[in-house]
Amino acid sequence: MTFCLFGFRSFSKLWKNNSYLWLGPGNSLSLFLVDCYGIRNKQRWFSLTTVSPQNTKAMNLLIAKTRYHRKGDEGSNKQVSSDSPHLFAAGAAKKRAQMNPQSKDPVSPPLRNTVQLPTKPLNSEEWDKLKEDFKGKANFENWISSQITHCRSSVDVAKSLLAWVAAKNNGIVSYDLLVKYLYLCVFHKQTAEIFDVYEIMKARYKSLEPGAYTLLIRGLIHSDRWREALLLLEDIKKVMIPSKKNYDDCIQGALLHQDVDTAWNLYQELLGHDLIPMLETLKAFFDFGKDTKDDQYANKLLDVLLYLRNNQLYPGESFAHSIKAWFESVPGEQWKGQFTTIQKSGQCLGCGKTIESIYLSPEEYEFLKENIMRNVIDGGDQYKKTTPEELKRFQNLVNNHPPFDIVIDGLNVAKMFPKARESQVLLDVVSQLSKQNLRLLVLGRKHMLKQYSRWRKDEMEKVQKQASCFFADDISKDDPFLLYATLHSGNHCKFITKDLMRDHKACLPDAKTQRLFFKWQQGHQLAIISRFPGSKISFQHILSYDTVVQTTGDSWHIPFDEDLVERYSYEVPNKWLCLRRKT
Amino acid sequence: MPVFLNMSVSFTFLRPFARFLVPFTLHRKRKDVCSTVLQKYMSSKVPAVSYPNKERTLPPEQLELDGWKITMKSSVQEEGISAVSNSKDEDPLAATRELIEMWRLLGREVPEHISEEDLKTVMESPSKSSKRKYLKYLYVKEKMKKAKQIKKEMKAAAKEEAKKDKLLETTEDDKQQNFLFLRLWDRNIDIAMGWKGAQAMQFGQPLVFDMAYENYMKPKELQNAVSQLLESEGCNRRNVDPFHIYFCNLKTDGDYYRELVKRYGEKWDKLLLTATEKSHVDLFRKENIIYLTADSPNVMTTFKHDKIYIIGSFVDRNMQPGTSLANAKRLKLATECLPLDKYLQWETGTKNLTLDQMMRILLCLKNTGSWEEALKFVPRRKHTGLLEVSQYSREFVNQLKKSKTFNTFPKGSLNIRTKKRWLK
Repeated sequence: MTFCLFGFRSFSKLWKNNSYLWLGPGNSLSLFLVDCYGIRNKQRWFSLTTVSPQNTKAMNLLIAKTRYHRKGDEGSNKQVSSDSPHLFAAGAAKKRAQMNPQSKDPVSPPLRNTVQLPTKPLNSEEWDKLKEDFKGKANFENWISSQITHCRSSVDVAKSLLAWVAAKNNGIVSYDLLVKYLYLCVFHKQTAEIFDVYEIMKARYKSLEPGAYTLLIRGLIHSDRWREALLLLEDIKKVMIPSKKNYDDCIQGALLHQDVDTAWNLYQELLGHDLIPMLETLKAFFDFGKDTKDDQYANKLLDVLLYLRNNQLYPGESFAHSIKAWFESVPGEQWKGQFTTIQKSGQCLGCGKTIESIYLSPEEYEFLKENIMRNVIDGGDQYKKTTPEELKRFQNLVNNHPPFDIVIDGLNVAKMFPKARESQVLLDVVSQLSKQNLRLLVLGRKHMLKQYSRWRKDEMEKVQKQASCFFADDISKDDPFLLYATLHSGNHCKFITKDLMRDHKACLPDAKTQRLFFKWQQGHQLAIISRFPGSKISFQHILSYDTVVQTTGDSWHIPFDEDLVERYSYEVPNKWLCLRRKT
Repeated sequence: MPVFLNMSVSFTFLRPFARFLVPFTLHRKRKDVCSTVLQKYMSSKVPAVSYPNKERTLPPEQLELDGWKITMKSSVQEEGISAVSNSKDEDPLAATRELIEMWRLLGREVPEHISEEDLKTVMESPSKSSKRKYLKYLYVKEKMKKAKQIKKEMKAAAKEEAKKDKLLETTEDDKQQNFLFLRLWDRNIDIAMGWKGAQAMQFGQPLVFDMAYENYMKPKELQNAVSQLLESEGCNRRNVDPFHIYFCNLKTDGDYYRELVKRYGEKWDKLLLTATEKSHVDLFRKENIIYLTADSPNVMTTFKHDKIYIIGSFVDRNMQPGTSLANAKRLKLATECLPLDKYLQWETGTKNLTLDQMMRILLCLKNTGSWEEALKFVPRRKHTGLLEVSQYSREFVNQLKKSKTFNTFPKGSLNIRTKKRWLK
């Protein structure tokens, strides 16, 4: 099925690129006319359009029709999965993006220099000749060494280059060439060469810079001299905080040589610098854990899992396998792991246990409400997003009203269908919801109340009969009000908008609060999936459970990222690792 | 080959004693010996026949690949080995300095010479990227300085040449020439501008720069803002009918004031403008004030000669949208934005213009009243040309712009006016 889809997609693309006839209004037709009648007629067409408006209308209609048809075609090409994933499921955004493809011209790669890179060591005459052939602006030695490094040539080629350079300048090779050479040696795992370069660097330079240190660390950890990598790490610390990759290398080196304490100490240090460890580092601890039967070590691994939980990190697929393997290797506990998914009801398909609820605890809820008020609405200057008077008006409305069940972002909902009239769409949604006896709040802006072609007064009056409304000033932001009204109404209240609220999330002060916001958003945001106006509205499925690493003592549920699914930062994985102890 | 090996062996043997036995001058000599050996060795190689289709028969082992290591290792540092040991307990400043030096060797964009103050700034930068950014800034600054220096020298040389040539020409010194004016043009222009400025102070239309944004800006942005203010004031001074400039909300103990006084020097007290700590709402009536901000929902249609326009002197590079609009809302002032979308086919870039561009646009509007003329001061990279507002709807032009047919036209003909001409 998917293969067939692929075919369709690429086919339609080809077709699009061949003729611009259906790409958009106006332009395509003019091109078409040029092709058929040449320039003169085109001119006439232009004059026609300016003279008779009817004609353009007809043209536009024609174009609209064809576009509509194309849309229809696409719709039939696309597989509308019956069990649509929720708004924040991994890969959902990518799918959404594919629904309205944007033609992008492929960027042509830059022209490469014509010098052929050597594949085997050259002697000095050959290097000289190569230098003569080189017609770039850059320094030849720098350029060629960069190219050699970039293409990961063999170490011998690089060596012969260095020999040639050294012969030219009294046996001196400059530092940058040395570093590039070191990169190659590390890439090809030539430990002896790495040692040599290390000795040379120690002899020539008092101190190095982080780039070379990083390469040396990476080169040394696999050898017997891995302890020197730790000294190099100390050298980096003198000038800056080492990167998580530096720590990763050192920890991997320590684990490789069975020095567990050093590894854990480095890990603690890494956390102390507020760096987020690479998942490879954590995976290495689990992989190593399979061969150690030690309670202390096991507890530390469980701490790592809790770290994943607290920071809402998700292991990758291979890491998930490592976790599973480690659990299953724990002696005497008989863990059983399986890869599974979670049902909509929030029950694990593997063991039937219910996953943690998406709802916040009362303390978290209060904390988030407070933060939204202080940072998103107020933000140190109430005039930025609203005005104090307006805020008062809004708070009066919210406080003097029983809690709402649903808060609607009027403008977002109304603009769902570009072809339909805004007030009509809004009225449809509101009346459908009010039939279910829900207390509604519609947020909008004052311009919606003025009589426009797109905002009919009578329809807006009907909306106001069926729901409470709050209209902000035209230059105020309406989303913060939406968030606050929903939070204020309590845990049962949901809000309707397609907006992902990323800019408001960014206003929150720290990552922890942002994660809290995201968790709340997953549980309370309804996004409408209606294909056309007038149809019965249906909502994106809301998650009832929280996608996070979790445990009940004798079971663990760990969401993980699949290798082949691209997940955006505002999405959560949908594959789980379910571990339980046989009792 | 054996010779070479012998050499190297003797070196490695000598190395521990070298520092004690051989006087320092010999080090260089030894290096030379090394290199001559290397060169001899390299040149003694049989040159490979450079037929492209013929395989080289020399296996790689025969190419001496490791020779360079010996010379590299044997070359002693300037300070000797002892430096390594005491580098362990050095202060972070020196470490940072060395880091910068190593980055320079690596070909990174770092300055050659760095002052203590800058070094401290680099050291205190929290992250690697901020260090790099600051160093790059210093590097660019240094480069500019050098380029200027070189230009200066070239100019001086050219002047010398011209002088010589002049001396060679035999001019008739005794020939009396008649002039109407002494050559005092610059001074006269200055004085004339001063008179005009004084006139503007008395009768000119006020134009306010709101200086209340000190705390929203980083030092770098503030400096840019001051540069732009200087530029604006300069344009205004040269204009036929200058504004009467006000700097409102200028705190005398603030960074803005300090920077302005530093840049203007003695001229600051003689400037023909009003600098005040008061707010613009204290000086003028609220209903006459129009706050210009790109975030405003109201589009400016005409330049009104009886209103007081306010420009927020705020360079905002870290995305704080709505700051000036919030200020205007707080004081309940009318706001307007330039009709950029109405007259220009906007391409890229923010619609926030620099202060000097705003100044030029307002001056132009004041004197001519034509938007087309005034908006010539909007940077050309931000738009693709003027729109013919009267004849074509914007949508139509957008379609034209997007259409691929335009690629066949010569460059620059995206401008609708030329397009029309071409069609006629």
